[in-house]
Amino acid sequence: MKRAPVLTLLLLLAPALLLIGLLALYPILRVLALSLFRTEYGFADASFVGLANYADLLSDRFFRRATWNTVLFTLLATLFEVGLGLLLALLFHRRFPARRWLMPAVVFPFVLSTMVVSAIWRAWFHFDYGFLNNLLRALGLPPVKWLFDPDLALLSIVLVDVWQTTPIAFLVLLAGLQAIPEEVVEAARLDGAGRLQILRHITLPLLSGHLLLAALLRTIESFKLFDKVFALTGGGPGNATETLSLNVYRSAFRFAEVGYASAAASIMLVIAGLLAAVYARRIVQGGRG
Amino acid sequence: MRRALRGGTPLSAALLVTIIALAPIFWMVATSFKPPGEYVSTSLRLWPRDPTLVHYRELFAEGFLARLWNSLVVTAGSTALAILAAFPAAYALARLRFPARLDAAFLLLVLIVKLLPPIVVAVPLFQILRGLGLLDSLPGLILAYQVYTLPFAIWMLLGFVREVPWELEEAAMLDGAGLPRRLLLIVAPVMRAGIAATAVFVAVLAWNEFLFALLFIQTPSRFTLPVWIATFITEDETFWGKLMGIGLLSSLPVMLVVGYLQRWLVTGFGGTGR
Amino acid sequence: MSRWTRLLSGCTLVGAMLVAGSPEAAKLVVAGRDGGYGKALALAIGAYEAANPGIEVEQLALPYGGLYEKLVINLREKAGGIDVVMLDDTWATEFMAKGWLAEMGEADADFVAPAVAVSRYPYPDGTLYALPFVGNVELFAWRRDLFEKYGLAPPTTWTLAREAAAVIDEKEEGVDGVVFRGVKGNPIVTGFLPILWSFGGRIVDEQGAAALMSPESLEALEFWLSLKEYAPEGIETYNSSEVRDALQQGRVAMSIELWPSWAPSLDDPAVSKVAGLVEINAAPGEKTGPAPMLGTWLLGVAADAPNAEAAKDFVAFVTSPEMQKRIALEVGIPPTRASVYGDADVVAKYRWYPNQREALMNARPRPRITQWSKVEAILGDYLQLALIGEMAAKDALAEAHARIERALSR
Repeated sequence: MKRAPVLTLLLLLAPALLLIGLLALYPILRVLALSLFRTEYGFADASFVGLANYADLLSDRFFRRATWNTVLFTLLATLFEVGLGLLLALLFHRRFPARRWLMPAVVFPFVLSTMVVSAIWRAWFHFDYGFLNNLLRALGLPPVKWLFDPDLALLSIVLVDVWQTTPIAFLVLLAGLQAIPEEVVEAARLDGAGRLQILRHITLPLLSGHLLLAALLRTIESFKLFDKVFALTGGGPGNATETLSLNVYRSAFRFAEVGYASAAASIMLVIAGLLAAVYARRIVQGGRG
Repeated sequence: MRRALRGGTPLSAALLVTIIALAPIFWMVATSFKPPGEYVSTSLRLWPRDPTLVHYRELFAEGFLARLWNSLVVTAGSTALAILAAFPAAYALARLRFPARLDAAFLLLVLIVKLLPPIVVAVPLFQILRGLGLLDSLPGLILAYQVYTLPFAIWMLLGFVREVPWELEEAAMLDGAGLPRRLLLIVAPVMRAGIAATAVFVAVLAWNEFLFALLFIQTPSRFTLPVWIATFITEDETFWGKLMGIGLLSSLPVMLVVGYLQRWLVTGFGGTGR
Repeated sequence: MSRWTRLLSGCTLVGAMLVAGSPEAAKLVVAGRDGGYGKALALAIGAYEAANPGIEVEQLALPYGGLYEKLVINLREKAGGIDVVMLDDTWATEFMAKGWLAEMGEADADFVAPAVAVSRYPYPDGTLYALPFVGNVELFAWRRDLFEKYGLAPPTTWTLAREAAAVIDEKEEGVDGVVFRGVKGNPIVTGFLPILWSFGGRIVDEQGAAALMSPESLEALEFWLSLKEYAPEGIETYNSSEVRDALQQGRVAMSIELWPSWAPSLDDPAVSKVAGLVEINAAPGEKTGPAPMLGTWLLGVAADAPNAEAAKDFVAFVTSPEMQKRIALEVGIPPTRASVYGDADVVAKYRWYPNQREALMNARPRPRITQWSKVEAILGDYLQLALIGEMAAKDALAEAHARIERALSR
């Protein structure tokens, strides 16, 4: 860390500040302000209602369910993705033939556009002709209502998300494993530690920073979940897969209740802010420590 | 013998994972060669009985190349803009002392934006773009994408700047190099792998973005690939062959870049976990 | 300079060039539906471009919900990106009342009266803001062969229809009794409305206040829910393509709703296993007579259209008798002109056109209120919650009523 003239700081930050101010800060402030109004669109036709939008939200079954769905999805997706990502990273950290060729293949789902991913899985989930149910029938098992059983639909979307984005967690954790000095592991092995012992007492503790990073990365993305639900179920059946993003979208664009949508969006912002605070602490500490 | 077995177990596990990861993609490729009569089927047969190139011919006839160009332009533009704006900011945050912990405040803002569900700012952004006369245009999309790409780039580059040894800069300072020279000639080249990794991730974000492109582009000839893809799912009919053909075509460029840069992608994450 | 800085500066250069020059060609942007409607528009656009060499037309083809959202955000902002607007007649009141559409002059007398009435604001004889493009009316489809096989009476009332559904569902192997659209939003509501109306229920009263909660509505909802037993598995996810496929593949005996644009493929032996076997007429009645629902698509010109004159010319061209006939014959999209319904070629091709015309002439529009899209979205949500069994019929109805009331009060 070194001191610098304020002007230098400003010049360095100017492009980023300008873009963020224009594209994010102004919209955020506007959303916060609009959440106190009843309006179809902007301030022109708005009437001030104080916190009434927030009060309405708390008793709105769709908003409550959307919050629950978002939390559940975020937890499940993060858990599975970091868990599987860890297993994959441990696997690919070892040397074996064709490793160089198999790795890009494992990462491939991540580079596909979410629209394409959703289209593929829509076809695979189809009750009558989908590949998954064809497979089940061929094995003599009953077909599964992947997307229209209210208890299962959200899990099906988790499955798609795990398939598509586990590579992110995998890459982060592989980078973490490669950063662990060989000597540490070697020394433990010479002391007679078994593979599991090394994993538990050496590898995992040293990897904790990356594990947290992977978990945060996935938490953030899962929390925003929109396009997969939009393309796969539209939030249905009923409201079984409606997420907060979709709830905001529907309030704003389908119901033209922008004040109400802004209140929901503000709640999302607060949650995002809390996550960000946890995150920023780590990064700032990382810089200082 | 035992060594061979121990080498073989990871290989078979990796092969299994690869098969699971690639099966839906294989289905995508196969379906893009299927004649329409073979979409609806209860058999497990993956490869088409009667492969055809008709979907690809139609995609090219309906303007695939023009949409590809749009996507390339938007991706290149947003990536360049994001890196150019993020690099100095990341440097300042990593290296310089801010008065009154403003660095923490700025980082928090960046992170909130990064966490921001894009839908939250969609309507105000629409108005901003209209005010700038950039609605329904590719430059407008490049600008709007900074909501996603800039925070991501700042955050990722931050870790890489920290890894550049301060001694290198000190040495340059002794030679009389000012800040701009140091940034361009010392810091940027040393962290080029990090910049490359960041650029790839930012580019993938921009390449696949759907929501803003859907809301801000009206004229069909200016569609990017993801929005164009969505037009093959209509209410009457889903054009599986074309949909999967475009899925393959639009993934190939990204796959090539990622494959080429895979070594850097992994090292790219090395600095960010600490 | 390293490879990377070179690459970066290359990217910047490309970016700068693009920001500098994005040429604007003079052209017409037409925003409309996808699928069959999109094909009809494409056909008309091709013909229009051939007849007007100076004009280039770009077609934006979107699904139902996507089109509504796109239109609202653009028209409200007066973004000027769209010239010609294709709109569902249920959106018309909102679009016209808010001044989003340009005045259209006069419609000639050949247009079908109910379709012209919804193109005016105030309804039914105010200023004309659009011209009817697709003469949709909700019909009902049933398999005459299966009804005859089991000696069932034609489904002239909903009760008869349900009885038949039960019999065929049980006895005919691989055939479900009835099908409808269960996807929430517009589809589920359009499927339910004819039943609601014929049981004497309604959503809003003459004063535009919420009127959903009534014994008649509850009876209608419970009746509609009882049909699920005879419907295919997964009906909650059925939209038009699933309904059409189920009919074409001979997997269902009846469809609560059939839109004229789905009908031609049913008689096409190349794609249909039931060619000539499906009877198509107005939906059954119950307490009241049949209540065919109007579902016309209109073409209007955006109030902020960059090329308003050319846009109006285009709308007149697409809705002309010649073009309407071509679209009916080549794409199977129903016309909005009496003369085309009387045309010998058209009637020879589509055997159900007399029934369709009859239904269209007597069709009833959905409520002419500016908040219809909201109301429909709310009702759609609760209908689906009831359909998947997450809410009891009565609770769903009461909560939908309360939310509709709140939406209408704003």
